[in-house]
Amino acid sequence: MNDTAISDALAEASASRHPVTLRAGGVFSGMHRRVIDADEIDLRSRRAIFEYEPRDLTIAVECGLTGAQMEQTLREHRQFLPLDAPDASQASVGGILASAWSGPRRHRYGRPRDLLIGSSFALSDGTLARAGGMVVKNVAGYDLSRLFVGSMGTLAVLLRANFKTLPLPESARMFLAALPAGTRERAFAQVRNLRPEPAAAWWITGYEREVDGEPGDDGRIAILLECENALLERATLDWRATLGRAGIPETRLLDAGAHASFTRMLDAPMRLPGVHALSYRSPSLPSHALALADSLAEVVDRFEMQRDLLVDIMNGDVTIRAIGDAASFNQMSGMLDDALHDRAPRARILAGGGDGHDRLDCFGLLPNALAQMRALKARFDPHGILNPGIAFFDGRHT
Amino acid sequence: MLIERLIEALGADAVKTSPEDLACYSFDAYSQGVLPSAVVLPTSAAQVSAVVKIARDLEEPLIARGSGTGLCGGATPLRAGVVLSFARMNQLLELDIENRRARVAPGLVNLQLSERIASTGYFYAPDPASQRASTIGGNIGTNAGGPHCLAYGTTVNHVLALEIVDERGECFTTAVEDLGYDLTALLVGSEGTLGIVTSAWVRLLRMPSTTGVWLAAFQSIESASEAVSAIVGAGIVPTALEMMDATIVRAVESAYAAGYPADAAAVLLVESSGEPEEVASADAAIARIARAHGATKWQAATSADQREALWRGRKGAAGAVGRIAPNYYTQDVCVPRTRLPEMLAAVDDAARKHGIVVGNVFHAGDGNLHPLLLYDKRDARQVAAVIEIGNLVLARAVELGGTISGEHGVGIEKRNGMSMVYSTEDLAAMACVRDVFDPQALLNPEKIFPSGISCREMRA
Ligand SMILES: Cc1cc2nc3c(=O)[nH]c(=O)nc-3n(C[C@H](O)[C@H](O)[C@H](O)COP(=O)(O)OP(=O)(O)OC[C@H]3O[C@@H](n4cnc5c(N)ncnc54)[C@H](O)[C@@H]3O)c2cc1C
Repeated sequence: MNDTAISDALAEASASRHPVTLRAGGVFSGMHRRVIDADEIDLRSRRAIFEYEPRDLTIAVECGLTGAQMEQTLREHRQFLPLDAPDASQASVGGILASAWSGPRRHRYGRPRDLLIGSSFALSDGTLARAGGMVVKNVAGYDLSRLFVGSMGTLAVLLRANFKTLPLPESARMFLAALPAGTRERAFAQVRNLRPEPAAAWWITGYEREVDGEPGDDGRIAILLECENALLERATLDWRATLGRAGIPETRLLDAGAHASFTRMLDAPMRLPGVHALSYRSPSLPSHALALADSLAEVVDRFEMQRDLLVDIMNGDVTIRAIGDAASFNQMSGMLDDALHDRAPRARILAGGGDGHDRLDCFGLLPNALAQMRALKARFDPHGILNPGIAFFDGRHT
Repeated sequence: MLIERLIEALGADAVKTSPEDLACYSFDAYSQGVLPSAVVLPTSAAQVSAVVKIARDLEEPLIARGSGTGLCGGATPLRAGVVLSFARMNQLLELDIENRRARVAPGLVNLQLSERIASTGYFYAPDPASQRASTIGGNIGTNAGGPHCLAYGTTVNHVLALEIVDERGECFTTAVEDLGYDLTALLVGSEGTLGIVTSAWVRLLRMPSTTGVWLAAFQSIESASEAVSAIVGAGIVPTALEMMDATIVRAVESAYAAGYPADAAAVLLVESSGEPEEVASADAAIARIARAHGATKWQAATSADQREALWRGRKGAAGAVGRIAPNYYTQDVCVPRTRLPEMLAAVDDAARKHGIVVGNVFHAGDGNLHPLLLYDKRDARQVAAVIEIGNLVLARAVELGGTISGEHGVGIEKRNGMSMVYSTEDLAAMACVRDVFDPQALLNPEKIFPSGISCREMRA
């Protein structure tokens, strides 16, 4: 569907008060509720690159473009955009923005929203409009592009997104290490203080099939170094020495495999072995992340489910996956959900839950500015036709 | 009535009403407005809230004000109203180095934050050239940029959470991590028209291990701007890449003796930071490009003092220009970086045609230009010429795919320019947001929007 067709479809939907739902990669569909009874606007074929002037370090793309296509296009010009989406071959730019996805490199390069410099969009009545532009600094008027970030397609249909791009670091090297008993806290602190700063770093237990590294008594860490060639070997020596001081005698390095290894780390949170499993992610301050991870692990253990944990050392996110058995999972998932939210009120479901998904609290703690968000929703989508029921704006969720 | 109620809520000491006091709050660095009805100096969000409720009752506009260094009339009262000065809400409220963040009151002066935390090895990145005077609340109001925003991004990239008093006097909070719409980003840069910032959590960055500062001199401004496009085009993003033309260089040299070559037609100030290897390779690569574009000089600052001196010249450029012209007007536009040479040529052309001296000092790496138009406001011909050139510059920036403001904001100055970049539909969508947050239009009214734009009702 082109812009005009989308605009017409929305105008009609609005006039007839008939809900529409936006179909993109589906990667983030576990992060919200299902839409009931709505016509579908399929955005998957909208994958054009509108404008890309590598020498300006900016790009404008249609929102159906996948993260992988974006990466490939930019890589040809030695540039990148740290969208850091899971399942990048499916995840669309629109989906990444609408779900406010942010990855493990955000402390270093910013979130996708930080690099977003403009957009065009269709409002619920079909009006086509745009905000921002193709310049890296712009304070002409309100930042509507970023307002739509996290909107789950409930405020407008994002058609096109403009980003500033970044020069691709010359080298990438993944450091993997098993943690001997009693080294975890020290390792965590040392990793946060490494120079040069890691591009991404995780502490992991479980996820043995999904991500690299040998498990140690205290779990394992994976750290991504991205830098210039000239710095690579000196940084490696320094990092190894620092990790050595934290009690980690050995680190395995991946060079050719660094990118693939990083991709597996990004994908892991969305991977579920079958339907009797749930994956959550909770934001947290880095200083609290390990304690939160332990606390959530304890909850899952209480339910006698298998668990995997991934802690984003630089940003504090805690991801936990609980895997139950067919006999009891559906019965227990509601209680597990409550118990996890007791400990991590802001935890969100990333994936899983099977048929019971919509009975679970997939959003966690609602924002303090809920009233403002509802008022915006009411103004931008007065008939509630955009993705009804998907989010928490329609009052179903309290 | 207004004054009595304000005094009752805040105490007499926090309410200014004498004409001399009011006069001090009737302008910003761009424009002179009218005298406000009162100026209040709240000390807490609760007091801000009380003031908002009183003003709302009496339908008085509310104008949030930082230091008044704004360059678009953002903090200027247009029809009386209550000015909220945050001079007494200027504390560093919490410092959380472990999580690299700080909570600040809106009146905290930008530079003071970095100075106060310098011993921790962290700093606050957005650094408008006005950072000695401008406040973080004002910076949030305008989404301020600065020389180092090339590598670090502008204020919106460094605000993690906000506490806001809304137009009804109620407090709410937003955070980037929050579920739902990104209200934090919406509020940053909204120029006090959507809510009043009463505190903010901001990101702190770790100081780099090494910083190099270089000066490159060129014989023409075209070759300097081509060098800038080539540096960025080669995928090199230094921490700062600032340009000054001959007018500015001479003004700065006579004011501060910063060490700039007085005969240069243009000077680039380049900063790169990171690990020593990264800084060394930036040095080599940028020097090569600069020379290939005709740089006559590539000089490294070899000591902290020299670095400081080179930066002092850049940051004091506006002050230095104040010494060579009775008045000057600062324009602010941003273009795609490959269009810099064309944009500069257009500025030069317009100034020449109208017989006005122009000085360019700007954030070249971002494509963000600041032509300073030198004039004498007692001469009506010069005033008219400056206005004309300002408009030509806006129009050309838009033609080149750019925007009418890179960092100073819209305020009063560029309300009409908004229609040059946005359609009525685009502006109506913005007006709908405004309507949601401030239905009575009491928060900094008559700013940002051109007249005749309103939130039209949805079609269906
Ligand atoms: C010499 C000079 C150099 C400059 N260099 C730069 C530069 O490099 N980069 C740049 O971006 N700007 C620059 N500026 C412009 C100006 O300094 C910035 O716009 C700055 O952010 C204004 O801060 P302030 O505290 O003076 O705010 P003010 O001018 O008082 O207010 C600015 C806007 O913010 C709003 N506001 C203030 N406080 C609040 C609050 N608590 N809540 C909500 N809204 C609020 C006001 O209503 C107004 O709309 C420069 C100005 C000068 C004079």
